[in-house]
Amino acid sequence: MKNNLVSLSDVSFAYSEDKPILKSINLEIEQGKITAIMGGSGSGKTTVLRLISGQITANSGISRVFGQDMANLSKKDVLKLRQKLGMLFQFGALFTDMTVAENVAFPLIENTNLPISIIHKMVAMKLEAVGLTGTQEMAPNELSGGMARRVALARAIALDPELMLYDEPFTGLDPISLNITAMLIKKLNDNLGQTAVLVSHDIEATMKIADYVYFMANGEIIDHGTPTEVANTSNPAVRQFIRGELGSSFSYKYPAKNGYEYYLGRN
Amino acid sequence: MKNLRKFVEKIGSPFSSFIFMLGELGKLLSMIIVGLGYAIKRPHLIVKEIFFSGVLSILIIAVSGWFVGMVLGLQGYNTLQRFGSVSVLGSLVALALLRELGPVLSAILFASRAGSGITAEIGLMKATEQLDAMDVMAVNPVKRVIAPKFIGGIIAVPLLTALFDSSGILGGHFVGVTLLQLDKGTFWSQMQGSVSLHDDVINGLIKAAIFGVVVSLISVYQGLQAKPTAEGVSSATTRTVVHSALAVLALDFVLTAFMF
Repeated sequence: MKNNLVSLSDVSFAYSEDKPILKSINLEIEQGKITAIMGGSGSGKTTVLRLISGQITANSGISRVFGQDMANLSKKDVLKLRQKLGMLFQFGALFTDMTVAENVAFPLIENTNLPISIIHKMVAMKLEAVGLTGTQEMAPNELSGGMARRVALARAIALDPELMLYDEPFTGLDPISLNITAMLIKKLNDNLGQTAVLVSHDIEATMKIADYVYFMANGEIIDHGTPTEVANTSNPAVRQFIRGELGSSFSYKYPAKNGYEYYLGRN
Repeated sequence: MKNLRKFVEKIGSPFSSFIFMLGELGKLLSMIIVGLGYAIKRPHLIVKEIFFSGVLSILIIAVSGWFVGMVLGLQGYNTLQRFGSVSVLGSLVALALLRELGPVLSAILFASRAGSGITAEIGLMKATEQLDAMDVMAVNPVKRVIAPKFIGGIIAVPLLTALFDSSGILGGHFVGVTLLQLDKGTFWSQMQGSVSLHDDVINGLIKAAIFGVVVSLISVYQGLQAKPTAEGVSSATTRTVVHSALAVLALDFVLTAFMF
């Protein structure tokens, strides 16, 4: 039997009743693997990450993280659980009033009682892991987009989390930075035995490093399987997405609502 | 009937929004109070906020206080001259500053310079997911970011008010004694005789501390409520200044009625 770190069963979520974001989704994240969640913008991928990290709670269904039902956890328990997970945000979310070293040291200072000399060593190690040892005293605004993303990665892995959540880690990166980031995610997963959830719409980079892929559209999971299975799927929406075709499954048009004719003066 | 309902809704909507905002402010205040222990254990965070909101406001407060004092000296001299009482100019300047103008104007200037900055900083931290990142790292942003800014504001406003008062009195002295040749000894002795440490100085500083709580609370609240866009942050900073000024002026009336 597979050992799943995260399991979502019939989970639905909406910020308001008339606008559902997740519609009864089922998803399993196997320990030690990189599981990708792919899909177009607004398909609900990031909302899944927010559910896993406990930033939001499901309206219905059961979401289990590290075997614990998130709906039954107190605020204190959620904070405790978060010490076992790391999250890389879409644009890094580095603290702009701190240096690179202070950013990486932040979770260590806040969540451990380690002496400052050990924290210095750990910060140096984490920055070395992402290839940025010379940036310790730099401010986030002195870094390029790719470097900022790697500093954020060093900060996210500072506490050696068991579960890593990556929110669009490849967005806005040049091809070299993109490949470096993808390689780092794979290396961290292999070397540290981490479990990773990777939300992305970058087909090439994600298919290269993921062990399992879920495809989302309009708040639903429309397909899942290994990268090879998904690449050869018969699902027309997934095929359209992978090939970037202008098809009928994913529409780029936003349909008109009632009253449209009135605004055009046709009534 | 439908129109009447719409009319009542339109009239009632601002009131219900106001009551809702008061509830939210109360909730935030209780969360900050819970987080005070965390912030006090990290004094460097509070010192940083006092520097940002207090030390960097020294120039605007001192210069404004000086000019307000000079205007008081000039207006006071002209009015008192009609009654042959120019000798009490020192008392007039000091009492006006210590009881009213010092706390009120310092709080409004604080809201404009530091409060708006606090709102913009928190709003941008929210827009760039820095608060979310902190939350995911098991660090409560209210304790780590909001509580130190709140404490910093409460400490800074009374100190800035004291500076405003002192600078204003010197401004009044400059106009009354240096420019209008009023007797120096009379200016200071009249002030000394009429100003009470408890009734005027301490009550003025208590007022300032209460304004500090209100302005700091509004500033952090608006920052947290800001929509994560450029326009959203801009509107939030404007709301901070407008709401703070109105709250300070309204509260000043209530406090004056009780204190003096």
